[in-house]
Amino acid sequence: MQEFTWPDRTAETELALDLDKAVLRREFEQRLDECGTLAFRVARGVLRNAADAEDVAQEASLRAYRRFALLRDPARFRAWLVRISFRLALDHARSARRRECRETVWATEVPKPTAEDIAASNEFGRRLQEAMESLPEKSRLVLLLAGMDGHSLEEVAEVLQLPLGTVKSRLHSARKQLAEKLR
Amino acid sequence: MNCDQSVQALRQAAAGGRAPTGNLAAHLEECATCQTSFQREQALFATIDHSLRKRVNEEPRASFLADVRAQLSKETLAKPGSNAVWAVTGATLAVVLIGMFYPLVNSRQPRVQGNLQAATVRAPQSTGGTQPARTFSVDSGVRSGKYSGEHSPAKTTVGQEPEVLVPPDEQNAFAQFVARVAGRDAMAEAVVSPAANKTAARNTELPEVPSVDIADLQLDGTKSDQWMDEPGGTE
Repeated sequence: MQEFTWPDRTAETELALDLDKAVLRREFEQRLDECGTLAFRVARGVLRNAADAEDVAQEASLRAYRRFALLRDPARFRAWLVRISFRLALDHARSARRRECRETVWATEVPKPTAEDIAASNEFGRRLQEAMESLPEKSRLVLLLAGMDGHSLEEVAEVLQLPLGTVKSRLHSARKQLAEKLR
Repeated sequence: MNCDQSVQALRQAAAGGRAPTGNLAAHLEECATCQTSFQREQALFATIDHSLRKRVNEEPRASFLADVRAQLSKETLAKPGSNAVWAVTGATLAVVLIGMFYPLVNSRQPRVQGNLQAATVRAPQSTGGTQPARTFSVDSGVRSGKYSGEHSPAKTTVGQEPEVLVPPDEQNAFAQFVARVAGRDAMAEAVVSPAANKTAARNTELPEVPSVDIADLQLDGTKSDQWMDEPGGTE
């Protein structure tokens, strides 16, 4: 993206802006280090394979960086990154489903899975994925965050800015719905 | 508590990760079927939790964060003032667009106003004719010099309108009347124009008086008055 420059900017102004940029960059990297692979984990919870999740996590990190200066409360960075990653992952999953549908319709010859493939495939994992996709997005996000190591329910409530009771209720409801579909 | 009642309660307990209490716990101790059902529910939720945890705690490849950092150096930051820049750009664009489209819109405006004005003036003419009172004066035979050239827009339709004849002795008065009416607004014209039309209608009847033929004597309209006034004038 072409950066906008004012015509009457002096060299001092440019230098100050560069310094600001460097400070912001350092601050962003620090926050990214604190979050670790949070973006990847959120994306992985939504998407079927790790490669797609990496792409989405990288895009989410870059988007967060581009808009980092506009984030009014830097303490909310974690929640912000979670939401960006979750939305991007959902979008990616939807477009992947549409692509799958198109390819299924136009495919003339679909290779049949071998006995080894079937044995290797995780049937429960596939069913779990389908059950997850049928959940409401709010419940789904709570379920993913609660499943992450090091995330207590209090932390999930803090990240999502929800009361603890709401988080517990959504988690309970989501697990029951999953069990209904997998039973 | 029977088995039917306990099934839902056991599922709730398993979903919440709680141990059964009270009557449910007592029933569970006695009923082997419900014990099996509860264990199955617990196993299902444990599998769900395990699968989810395994999935969301998966690590990306080792170079993932390094790749993200490398990408960051290629990116540009949005500055807090960038919204203001976009606002200024948008406002400028809006002004340019208004400047482009205003002449187009404005060029249609007089035509619409002209139609409205014409409608306002013509409304009272439906009783008498198609010409406003002001136009009568221009084309009425009065032809007073001070008035004839003042309203050039009316001249465009003069040729299409019937000529109004005014008797010579009323020409000055009629010309003054019409000049006064012309000095007023359209509403005043609308109010007075029917009267002018009536006058016009009355005046136009005058020349149509037929001449009278009596025996060999032929009298025109003006001489007939003199003949009738003569004493003893009989046929």
